[in-house]
Amino acid sequence: MPAPRGPRPPDGAAEAARRRKKLITLTRPWLLLAPSLVVLAGLLLWPLIQVGKLSLEDYEVKFGGGTSTFTGFDHYSDLLSSSLLWKTVLPNTVFFAFACVGLTVALGTLVALLLNRLGTTWRMICSVAILAAWAMPAVTGTYVWIWLFQPQDGMVSQIAGSVGLIDPETTNWFTERGPFYAIATLNVVHHGFPFVAITVLAGLLTIPKELYEAGELDGANAWQRFWNITVPTIKPVFLVVTILSTIWDFKVFTQVYLQPGGDGSNEEVYNLGVFSYIQAFAKNDYGTGAAAAVLLTVLLLIITVVYIRTLFRQGEEDL
Amino acid sequence: MTTRRTTLASRIGLPAAVVGLLLFTLFPVYWMVSTALDPKASLRGSDVLPSGIGFEHFEFVFDKGNFGTYLLNSAIVGLTTIVAAALLSLFAAIAVARFKFRFRTSVLIMILIVQMVPLEALVIPLFIQMRDYDMLNSLLGLSIVYIALSLPFAIWTLRGFVATVPKEVEEAAYIDGASWPRMFWSVLLPLVAPGLVATSIFAFITAWNEFVFAYTFMKGSDKYTAAVGIYQFFGENSTAWGPVMASSTLVTVPVMIFFVIVHRKLGSGLAAGAVKG
Repeated sequence: MPAPRGPRPPDGAAEAARRRKKLITLTRPWLLLAPSLVVLAGLLLWPLIQVGKLSLEDYEVKFGGGTSTFTGFDHYSDLLSSSLLWKTVLPNTVFFAFACVGLTVALGTLVALLLNRLGTTWRMICSVAILAAWAMPAVTGTYVWIWLFQPQDGMVSQIAGSVGLIDPETTNWFTERGPFYAIATLNVVHHGFPFVAITVLAGLLTIPKELYEAGELDGANAWQRFWNITVPTIKPVFLVVTILSTIWDFKVFTQVYLQPGGDGSNEEVYNLGVFSYIQAFAKNDYGTGAAAAVLLTVLLLIITVVYIRTLFRQGEEDL
Repeated sequence: MTTRRTTLASRIGLPAAVVGLLLFTLFPVYWMVSTALDPKASLRGSDVLPSGIGFEHFEFVFDKGNFGTYLLNSAIVGLTTIVAAALLSLFAAIAVARFKFRFRTSVLIMILIVQMVPLEALVIPLFIQMRDYDMLNSLLGLSIVYIALSLPFAIWTLRGFVATVPKEVEEAAYIDGASWPRMFWSVLLPLVAPGLVATSIFAFITAWNEFVFAYTFMKGSDKYTAAVGIYQFFGENSTAWGPVMASSTLVTVPVMIFFVIVHRKLGSGLAAGAVKG
């Protein structure tokens, strides 16, 4: 039946149009979000649930497939009662992460302040140098630091030997926790501080110069100006770089795994990530590996909660 | 008093700081490249200058080490990741920055939380999942993982960019009679292009540098990515430092060139991500 010609009753048309508009308004954001949410749910969220399930099971690989037996919290009680976890794995993870975060943020901030004071040419040169440090992938960076600290023929070992600090024939920096993690820290800080420097610099550039002029008139020295003007003004930037660094540094894997002995052959230098990986893939004990992974996730979730709470508290009314 | 200290600091302090910074940042890069070029790489010890300049190690990694294939694999995985991550994150960023809808905050928080998930937690179940779906050793399978890894950060960064585009600009376009897709192409897209470049770079870097998944998933040696390919030259007790550093140089230099070209956009991209959210 052909639709009647002429103007339709105004009420119905407006109503239909409004309803259609409302439907579009309701579904459009979800349509736009759907692909991302599917990918995130399928590859990050679902595996995370799986790892929780796996940590309660004994998983065995048989003829290409896997069979699992439910074991309850056995893996957790084994893990939490092992002295390896409390004496080696957790201290390594936590101290290393905090050392890296502290040094990364401090150095990054100092460099940002430096860049802010330089003229155009030198700022350019230093920025490119920083980008070079950043561009070195974790894998390649790690190999360079290993080569520099290589026992006997590494540059640092030879120099330290020639000034009598060590005997380069017998000293191996990588066999003990202290030196092992000192080198890893150097590596992580070298790779991580550019992010902090560039982000903080971007923040510094937004601070009005008048604030500093006023501070100087009031007789504040450089240190006071930094703590009373710079830090409060760009506090959100500091919060974000600190918390992101914390999250990244708790998860450091490659830099530890690739250093000599870091691949599981030396228990002294285990961190939580490496421990979990070795249990699962070298010892085929997926359950314990998964339990360690859950422990790491819980640690990071606690940090995440702090992150979100600070984000909300910085007055972001419409997140 | 203050002025004198400032001049003193800038006369000695600033140049010293600049030299220190350049040494700390560039020395490892220099050491990598010069070792790669040194024909007697493994005998360098504390010699700062290489004993000679040659390309033997580079020839070796391509001829004997199959490194061309690995670089190609990395490029394929990287480009797939860029395109998919940029597209998906732009859609998602528009949704969370432009529309008010129920559960918007919850979605944003969920995205933030999945960003915190440690890779080592995912590698076990994803390995099992990939094996069950026969996706191990597949460049596509690896790319999908990298897309997921780069999405959270990309969405949060782009959200900042979309939010900085004034709503009035869009409304003006609507008043001029533009449809939504038209507004998207001719108004929004050009304005968020710098942010899109920044997120693409991050997605590419994620895929290019990643080691754990590539190392665990890619067991056929012709499917290695470049980051894993270096590993084959590295031995626990005796390492051929020339090939290791030559392949490391090949992995690092493209990223370096990238960073230098886009470094202005990089800074503003980070700031948008950090300040806006």
